Amino acid sequence: MIEARNLGMQYGRGKQLALDNINFFIERNEFVFFVGSSGAGKSTLMKLIIRELKPTGGVLKVFNRDVSSLPRHRLPYLRRNIGMVFQDFRLMEERTVYDNVAFALIVTGKSRREIKRRVPPVLSMVGLEGKAKAKVTNLSGGEQQRVGLARAIVNRPAMILADEPTGNLDPGTALDIMNLLHSINLRGTTVLVATHNREIVDRFRKRVLYLENGRLVGDEQKGIYTNVH
Amino acid sequence: MFINGFIYILGETLKGLYRNRWMCFTSTGVVMVTLLMLGMFMTINLNAQHITEVVKEQVEMVVYIEEDADRATVEELGRALSGHKEVAGVQYISSEEHMGRLQQQLGGMLEGYDTGLENPLLASFEVKTVDPEAVVRLAGEFETYPGVAAVFYGRGYVEDLFAVTRVVQLVGLALMVGLAITAVFLISHTIKLTVLMRQREIKIMKYVGATNWFIRWPFFLEGMLMGFVGAVLPLGILQYLYQIFTQWVTANELMFINLLPLQDVIIALAVFLVPLGVVIGILGSTLSMGRFLKV
Repeated sequence: MIEARNLGMQYGRGKQLALDNINFFIERNEFVFFVGSSGAGKSTLMKLIIRELKPTGGVLKVFNRDVSSLPRHRLPYLRRNIGMVFQDFRLMEERTVYDNVAFALIVTGKSRREIKRRVPPVLSMVGLEGKAKAKVTNLSGGEQQRVGLARAIVNRPAMILADEPTGNLDPGTALDIMNLLHSINLRGTTVLVATHNREIVDRFRKRVLYLENGRLVGDEQKGIYTNVH
Repeated sequence: MFINGFIYILGETLKGLYRNRWMCFTSTGVVMVTLLMLGMFMTINLNAQHITEVVKEQVEMVVYIEEDADRATVEELGRALSGHKEVAGVQYISSEEHMGRLQQQLGGMLEGYDTGLENPLLASFEVKTVDPEAVVRLAGEFETYPGVAAVFYGRGYVEDLFAVTRVVQLVGLALMVGLAITAVFLISHTIKLTVLMRQREIKIMKYVGATNWFIRWPFFLEGMLMGFVGAVLPLGILQYLYQIFTQWVTANELMFINLLPLQDVIIALAVFLVPLGVVIGILGSTLSMGRFLKV
């Protein structure tokens, strides 16, 4: 599903490599943690996968397609297949929970009826039934991240990309969110999580890719955070 | 599918206008003030042009024939004048006709008054040129024709009039172009601020897979609407002001200021200002968006 071959990324000439000669392959339905300290290259890798950035070296294939050669007008269609979850939730604050989730369907041109049919089950799946009409600013951090998750999965994407999804949450709420991501994975969606939350990684025992100063220094099935750090 | 997207975009446009109402108010105000000034210059220019045209219509020259010119010379002169490619029309006025006109102008003061002298007035050709501005040059040419005593065309007055109207037109045009560019610049900056305020929202749209046009449309429509309102309001104001001005001209019997009728001015202004406002709005919004769409 994702293949990186000698992948490199440099933000400018003469600058340090943000990613240096990265190689990995991620299968469909996998659950993978990208771990490493700040500046290790986790977020850069995520940005390359959704083609927010173009790699400066090597090849990155997403859904068997080289993202570098993807024309700009095709990017929306790539992104509709990837649900994004962010540390800062990135919700539209003026709007309700329902509107935020429905938004991902509106941009893909779904009918109003289809949207009405799809949003409520997703809201109940993330535990937000009854909060559809609430403004997102009136919700707790954990609830806001649930809205972010609902928005990411409502389009039934093949893959979820979560960049530090628990970074702004207390440990209990963080665990809830990770459990949700895990259950989404069990339903057949590939889940990639960039994190430096040691407890979470160690608890779930999934595949772990270790990044350090832009280099991939470890790739372990059922890994734990502390193996390298 | 398409209808749902359209309803959403329309809703977003209206919501966007409401949420950023002060900013939109400012942008529209900027367009309004600029187009109002533009409209004023245009009105002045249109009327200057109109007055020039009217005066040009009246410009003609009189080629006086030498008193002792024989019939053949006069006929030859008449043929030479009417055959000239820059001459639109020639009319022969005999000395008797001149006297008749003079008597008419003096309101019968000369009636019954016989000096016993010969008619001192010279016969002439009244010449209308194709291009009124060529009168000065042609007068010089016709003076050299055989049998011509003198050529009159309002020397000095005509030259000044053409020079002044040319300057008015050029200055007006330069100001209009300058103002239009200023308007595009100002509205693109004010809309850039609205876009900047919604940068976060645009980024989210990009992440969930919105196409650039899906994001652009509400801003596009917003710009268009602001440009339209910003053009229609000055049109109303200009109509009101022009009406007052024409009434003032009539009331003060300044009829020599030959103004264009209100309807003509408003139609010309509407045809020019409304599309310009809409284009300014669209340009302003699209120019300011490019950078934010590259996510």
